[in-house]
Amino acid sequence: MKLQAADDGAMLLEEIPPFLFRLLGEIPGRASSKHPRVEARFFPEPGSDQELIEDWKTLVEPELHVLFQSARETVRADLRGASASKGGFSMRIPKPHGDAWLGALNQARLAIAEESGFDEKDMAAEVVPDPEDPRAMTLFQIGFYGFLQECLVRMQD
Amino acid sequence: MPSLDCPEKETLEEVGLDAPWNVVVHNDPVNLMSYVALIFRRVFGFSREKAEAHMLEVHRKGRSIVWTGSREQAELFVQQLHGHLLLATIEPAPQTQ
Repeated sequence: MKLQAADDGAMLLEEIPPFLFRLLGEIPGRASSKHPRVEARFFPEPGSDQELIEDWKTLVEPELHVLFQSARETVRADLRGASASKGGFSMRIPKPHGDAWLGALNQARLAIAEESGFDEKDMAAEVVPDPEDPRAMTLFQIGFYGFLQECLVRMQD
Repeated sequence: MPSLDCPEKETLEEVGLDAPWNVVVHNDPVNLMSYVALIFRRVFGFSREKAEAHMLEVHRKGRSIVWTGSREQAELFVQQLHGHLLLATIEPAPQTQ
């Protein structure tokens, strides 16, 4: 897979192998998890004041739902614009979509980690993708999304 | 039954409306360090050095007080941080006599 910055600030992803393109396609779905641990992680309490917590649930959480959903929709639309060729898939992330991708990738990483119960040690482990080992594949998926996040952070620096 | 030390009760009423509040960011094992530093720069306008210092404090000590000021502004900052999926809370800042 090749990544490069276009003149207009977009990130170009080229020669994406089918396996990695499938993982990209899973970003919106993984990020939409309704698992209770994921919900708790996405919508944490803002403090210990009960009144604030109740106000937060009523006023802030709905806005966060919209924000997270919007990022996933942007990613979905960019993925629909991908093209396939002999060398693999190609797509571009327009510069104005960079934040949505950062957000959706973060959502997906957090959701997968919460669903899988991964801790700091798991996240720091060296992972070799092994189709026979679902845990290793899941950690690889989080790592792949993290790699893309790093690239987007650097491009925005 | 063993006796328990009862911590001094601190109610919100005791923390006056004008009293300062801290915005605290807590560690989590998933968020990338570079991402956290980027969000600190964006939300608080920190320099790269200051953002990285707070990010490292979160990583090493488990939490960092990133801002202190009015409660209303503190809540707005926490809302923005939650929008970037950082674990953040507000808490009353200790009062100096």
